[in-house]
Amino acid sequence: MKVTVKSWTGVATWRWIANDDNCGICRMPFDSCCPDCKLPGDDCPLVWGACSHCFHIHCIVKWLHSQPQQQCPMCRQDWKFNNK
Amino acid sequence: MSQKSDELKIYWKKIKYAFPILNNTLPTECTDQEYEEITQIIVGLGIQVKIRDLVLVHVEKYLRVYVAPSFWSKFTKVEEDIKAFQLFKSAVNDLYDSVNQFSDMLRRLKHLNNECCDNRPIFGEKDVILGFKQLLRATLLSQLPTTYYIIINHFYELSFNVFDNMKSSDMDEDICLGCWNEYSECNCAYIVKVFYDTNKKLVELQLLERLAGQVLTNFIQKKIEVHIRKICTGAFDVSHMSHLEDWLDTTVMTWLTRIYSAGSSQAPPGIKYAITKFKQKLSFFLYQTYTKLRIDQLFNIIIEYPDSQPAIDDIKTCLESTNLCPLLCKKLQTALETRLLHPGVNTPDILTAYISTIRALRHLDPSGIILETVTKPVRNYLRNREDTVRSVVSSLTEEGTGSELAEELAKFAAENDEDNEKEEAWDDWYPDPVDADPRRAQGPKGSDIISMLVNVYGSKELFVNEYRTLLADRLLAQGDINTEKEIRYLELLKLRFGESQLHFCEVMLKDISDSKRINTLISQDKNFAEMNAKFSSNAMILSAQFWPPFKDESLELPEEIKQHLAEYTKAYEGLKGNRTLSWKPHLGNVNIEIEIGEKKLDLTVSPFNATLIMHFQNKPEWLLEELHDIMKVPMTVLRRKITYWQSLGLITEKSSDYYVLVDGSEANKANVPSNQVQEMICEDEETESVMASAHDQREGELQVFWSYIVGMLTNLDSLPLERIHQMLKMFASQAPGTECSLNELRQFLDTKVRTHQLVLQGGMYKLPKL
Repeated sequence: MKVTVKSWTGVATWRWIANDDNCGICRMPFDSCCPDCKLPGDDCPLVWGACSHCFHIHCIVKWLHSQPQQQCPMCRQDWKFNNK
Repeated sequence: MSQKSDELKIYWKKIKYAFPILNNTLPTECTDQEYEEITQIIVGLGIQVKIRDLVLVHVEKYLRVYVAPSFWSKFTKVEEDIKAFQLFKSAVNDLYDSVNQFSDMLRRLKHLNNECCDNRPIFGEKDVILGFKQLLRATLLSQLPTTYYIIINHFYELSFNVFDNMKSSDMDEDICLGCWNEYSECNCAYIVKVFYDTNKKLVELQLLERLAGQVLTNFIQKKIEVHIRKICTGAFDVSHMSHLEDWLDTTVMTWLTRIYSAGSSQAPPGIKYAITKFKQKLSFFLYQTYTKLRIDQLFNIIIEYPDSQPAIDDIKTCLESTNLCPLLCKKLQTALETRLLHPGVNTPDILTAYISTIRALRHLDPSGIILETVTKPVRNYLRNREDTVRSVVSSLTEEGTGSELAEELAKFAAENDEDNEKEEAWDDWYPDPVDADPRRAQGPKGSDIISMLVNVYGSKELFVNEYRTLLADRLLAQGDINTEKEIRYLELLKLRFGESQLHFCEVMLKDISDSKRINTLISQDKNFAEMNAKFSSNAMILSAQFWPPFKDESLELPEEIKQHLAEYTKAYEGLKGNRTLSWKPHLGNVNIEIEIGEKKLDLTVSPFNATLIMHFQNKPEWLLEELHDIMKVPMTVLRRKITYWQSLGLITEKSSDYYVLVDGSEANKANVPSNQVQEMICEDEETESVMASAHDQREGELQVFWSYIVGMLTNLDSLPLERIHQMLKMFASQAPGTECSLNELRQFLDTKVRTHQLVLQGGMYKLPKL
């Protein structure tokens, strides 16, 4: 007997490669989206700061806009986007 | 002295001559002239009042002793119609004759009464003649035998039969349907004549109402019942109301009129009033009987709705003039309970019946009060059925015609715009019926069928959750799903359940369409193209947060597949920075081709089955334990699922838990023709959901409480169920969505007892001693 696989359709879930599960600002899971978004993933991506903390992009941008100083809300270091 | 007594004797003789009734006889030769003289004597003696009263006493005695018994003696128990007919006729005739014999005497008595001038009523009447008739009726009825109605019944039945058949007699038959004689000897004309005659006499004696009234009413009611039963069984698609009223008007009422007015079809005004009264009573009875019959059939009528709409219309009309609404509710409720609400009926059938009930009763009673009362047990019952939501959802999204709910959903979308105008129609408002429950929520009465179904649960949430699970199943089961169609349905559902509830489903659908795009992109990836040369691989990439939780099942895929999927992951990581994939190895589907001997099988199977058969390709004989080690699947599951290949004849269980591949030549013998095999697969595909059931999910939620419970029991040693529930309510259920009923808690704790995490002793829960 010979078995030939012609096509294989698998099922997978995607997740962000991050050092935490939840966004420190909105407390939603990273794999979900920020409160202002409807669709997760491409439409509501994550960003990493130089301090290695990461957030939903919409969350951190909102945070930075509301603050006089550009600091990471978790560690109070100056916020810099880390484009790794 | 003696002269005076002689004189008195002569007078007495004369008086007796004028009123022979004093000797208990009636005939006399007394002429008017002689009577004039006798009156003079009586008046002269001043005894007119005494004589009158004496005569009346004797009249009463005569009637009591002679007339009444001879009249009633004819009322025997007789079986044949015609004999009874004759008896009644002769009884009435005799009575009439003997009453006529009184007429001379009564005339004289009347004369005498005029001389009395005391205006005393005679038997309650102001006239001698009327008084006599009153006396006659009273005397007759005082001796009423218990079986008197039998021959009267026969009498009227026979005549009704004749009358009923006079218009519509079928000449084809030899026997006249009226009198059951052959046509040559048809008695109908005679019967009709006698009938009129007898009735006329009874009317004259003013005995018709007394003697025959009750019997007539009973008889006509019986006729109505029989007639309705004859006409209205079975067919629900015709309205019978107008026909029935017509029948009552023509056949029954004409007949009645003729009885009362002694033959003529035009009734005199006094009688007309009586007949109108009678008719009102009869038509009420007609309505009532018809409604009762229809109420008994209501369940079937509802099942056949909307074909049975005329029947519903009839009931609607009837309910307005009868007070049978409570009966209807009760009967229908019982019918529903006995015919629908038991384990032998499939949930979809109950739902279909429920939908029909909603539609039919809404038509019957737009206020929705009957509906609410009647369907309460149905709702309660549906709530306890596990697959209710699933059935509702699947029929909502079912393809094609025949799915009423899908149509209803589409209809709702179309009607939605018109709704605003409807609110303006305040002048169409009707108050609730008096028997409505005043506590009833004054919500929108026009709530539609789908809301009624969803409201079985009291919340949309559960319903939407179930829809999500179902959608997830469907999306995963079908490789290429028609997303457009699903989106269309989703839009329809959104109209009804609101945007936010169905947001998850939207993401799910987007995942599927995104996956398609990613698959195309990845297959163009150069590194991956190499791998894909062997076989094409696709993935459905899901956003885990938005899908219902999956059942946890482990499965170790073959090495080459694992490599392949790892490559895919790499390609994905290249495509989407910072993201990776976690595979659900047991989900998905695989298209494989099996060459065995000269035959080729083209199958689409689950990853599990593919893995299994690939193992057999490398090594034809396996122990269950070995399979368990290599595939990391529980043995029970393995044993269950391997039957798929057994059913195809590719694998046999040689001895217990020892499986062997059937090689080519044997397979040919054992195997069924391949086209049949194909069919089998379609059915054999696992239909069970890959999603965790709502029950499992709920148990997961209850798990939150577990640490509280453990804490409680550590401190307080042992607690009864109620106490635990109370404490939880106090401390743990602040957050919304974490309420749990006593029953749920009991179930949860019972599972804990079963897994030996708890001990139940004398109604108290305890932690097991370590």
